[in-house]
Amino acid sequence: MKLSQMRIGQSAVITKVRAQEPIKGRLFAMGIAKGNRIKLLDHTLKKETFEVDVEGTRVALRKEEADAIEVESDDEKD
Amino acid sequence: MKKIRAVMVGQPNVGKSSIINALTNARLHVGNFAGVTVEKKEVTLTYKEYDIDIVDLPGIYSLNAYTPEEQVSKNYLLNESYDIIINVVDANVLQRNLILTLQLLDMNPKMILVVNMIDEVEKQGGRIDAVKLAELIGRPVILASAKEKRGIDDIIDILVDEYERPDVERKIYYDERIEEEIEALSSILMKSPKFVSPDMARFFVVRLFEKDPDIYKIVHDLPIFLEFHEALGKSMHRLQLEFDEESVADILSNERNAIAKSLVMQCMQAPNKESLTDKIDKILIHPVFGLPIFLFFMWALFQLTFEIGSLPVDYLDATFTNFANWLKQILPPGDINAIITDGIVPAVGSVIMFLPNILILFLGINLLEQTGYMARAAFLLDGFLKKFGLQGKAFIPLVSGFGCTVPAYMAARTLKNPKDRLITMLVLGFMNCSARLPVYVLLIAAFFPTTNAGNVLFAIYISGAILGLIVAKILRIVLFKGEPEPFVMEMPPYRFPSLKALGMELWLKAKLFLKKAGTFIAGAAMIIWFLSNFPHNPQLIKQYEQKIAQAQTKEQKVALQNELAAKNLEYSFIGRIGKTIEPVFAPLGFDWRLSVATISGLAAKEVVVSTLATLYAVGEADEKSSTLIERLRQNIDFKTAIALIVIIMIYSPCVAAMSTFYAEVPQWAWRAFYTIYPNVLAWLLAYSVYNILAALGY
Repeated sequence: MKLSQMRIGQSAVITKVRAQEPIKGRLFAMGIAKGNRIKLLDHTLKKETFEVDVEGTRVALRKEEADAIEVESDDEKD
Repeated sequence: MKKIRAVMVGQPNVGKSSIINALTNARLHVGNFAGVTVEKKEVTLTYKEYDIDIVDLPGIYSLNAYTPEEQVSKNYLLNESYDIIINVVDANVLQRNLILTLQLLDMNPKMILVVNMIDEVEKQGGRIDAVKLAELIGRPVILASAKEKRGIDDIIDILVDEYERPDVERKIYYDERIEEEIEALSSILMKSPKFVSPDMARFFVVRLFEKDPDIYKIVHDLPIFLEFHEALGKSMHRLQLEFDEESVADILSNERNAIAKSLVMQCMQAPNKESLTDKIDKILIHPVFGLPIFLFFMWALFQLTFEIGSLPVDYLDATFTNFANWLKQILPPGDINAIITDGIVPAVGSVIMFLPNILILFLGINLLEQTGYMARAAFLLDGFLKKFGLQGKAFIPLVSGFGCTVPAYMAARTLKNPKDRLITMLVLGFMNCSARLPVYVLLIAAFFPTTNAGNVLFAIYISGAILGLIVAKILRIVLFKGEPEPFVMEMPPYRFPSLKALGMELWLKAKLFLKKAGTFIAGAAMIIWFLSNFPHNPQLIKQYEQKIAQAQTKEQKVALQNELAAKNLEYSFIGRIGKTIEPVFAPLGFDWRLSVATISGLAAKEVVVSTLATLYAVGEADEKSSTLIERLRQNIDFKTAIALIVIIMIYSPCVAAMSTFYAEVPQWAWRAFYTIYPNVLAWLLAYSVYNILAALGY
């Protein structure tokens, strides 16, 4: 599923980052890369801005970017 | 003496500037968000027989530079000469920081690794094995904490050792398949005399794998380019097939990610999770309560700024008035006496009495910067700012604008998209800077009941911000079509601000402010005083002296003296200038003195206050209304005062800010637009407000 579809507090593993360069490089530099663990910490009321934790770094990003990140949540694996 | 040139590199907000402050007596500005340092800064220190230059570069997430200030760092790393790199990483997010380290190691440079904020990791039960890490990456590793001054002394020791070491060893290699391709491509590059070392060739190949345009330009001009370019294309194609990835850049990213992960796994014992930050964030950036809490903080800040800051204002005002009167008596009478007691002392005093307000405002902004709340506010406001064609990150320069517009213009460099950056800079002037605070506090104290003063101040700042957003929206629709840039921002952990750093920042601020008052503002006051006292009109004075001598009662005498003073002032240079520009401001209810004060504010906003003090003092023979506030009440009505506030809010900032804008924006059309439009807008809005208030019967 997409990062933007995660619930607050849910954890997942990033499977694909679909963004274009140079934003892809930027996401990567923040630790948003394939195989890294990600946790959705919070989002704003209208789900426009998201805060995630990737490998210890907290990152804020918008819906557009969150839509471009594919994740596999821990519940899906079970 | 041997010279060592060291360059400090690291991702944003790892504490590079803090380390430099700890190493030397430098007082670089520090904060807890990405992008505090946007310019390279240089410090020098002496150690044994070495002169060591350290260049502090703006933080850079990766060598694939993204924002203008990152480009500064990248250009420096690629093009300037230096002897050694000090790579600073944050122990809390070692894995992510190591990715930049790995990119730097591609150059195989002389380098030391400083792991900062180790205290935070250890407090939470984590540990880092520096010896092991050093062995794995082949470079010395120092565990340090700028806050606790730990490991700081070792940095220079080890830096010099590493500098003196004859050779450096490459320990980090990528997957064999990648290394093979690098090897083959490097050998083509080595045919060109430009490449003196295989390390440099290897670095260039890796950068080209990542489609680095700066490197591409260099290679493009080499005679071997055609041969190389063909081989590069084939190599990249082979790698994409083998790794089944879209681009070689992705392959390298994954490689570095894996290496960083394995390094951390081997050297670091992770701290226990669920930190304080997570708990605080649950409240402060709560989807529903986040914004109201933020607004409350801002409101409270302005309440405090006015309420506490204004406590000593009356006292300071009276003290300066008494001081001037006392000086008047002990100094020999004449022009020197007058220029000091009527010109400089009241003017400087009128500005200095607002120092407490300014310090409180700065304390608030500093707390915002140092605790990490700034990034949260940007997060909360992103959706809101997006509607106005800005992005959350623009919040950071906008808030800096409440302090001073000059650094705020420079902070806008953290915005990648040139359109976003220009829009932000064009509306930054509407964020009321601290130099305007004295004008507001003075006018509020004179024209509003004290119970509401803090709210009025808050309202002024909020209106300025809202006006800025509306203008941004208009600019976005009319002049800069297109979407704002994507928003991806690191949220730093909350940190307790260091009291020492806070105190230092405030002390610096106070010193700077007093210096400005004592030099620039005193100078401006002297000019204003001179212009308002010369030339004399001997005929007029003679005429009035006769009248005064003939006057019967004391009241008549005083009235005549006042009339003379007023006539003299009108006859002076400044009176004539004022009369010339008065028609422009007359529709706003300004007399010529207010007009002159407004124009003088272009030099610096505090000068508005000092000019008012001078102009309303020389025209006053009656000593009963002694303080500036009382004089203003007598001479200006409510709606005019509001019109003045509106003008100050909107019109051009001071010359220092304007020249910063000119330096940052090279296009003449934008410079011209920037110079004209705020003044037109200010006049129109002030005119509307004045007439609406008049219609309401004020």
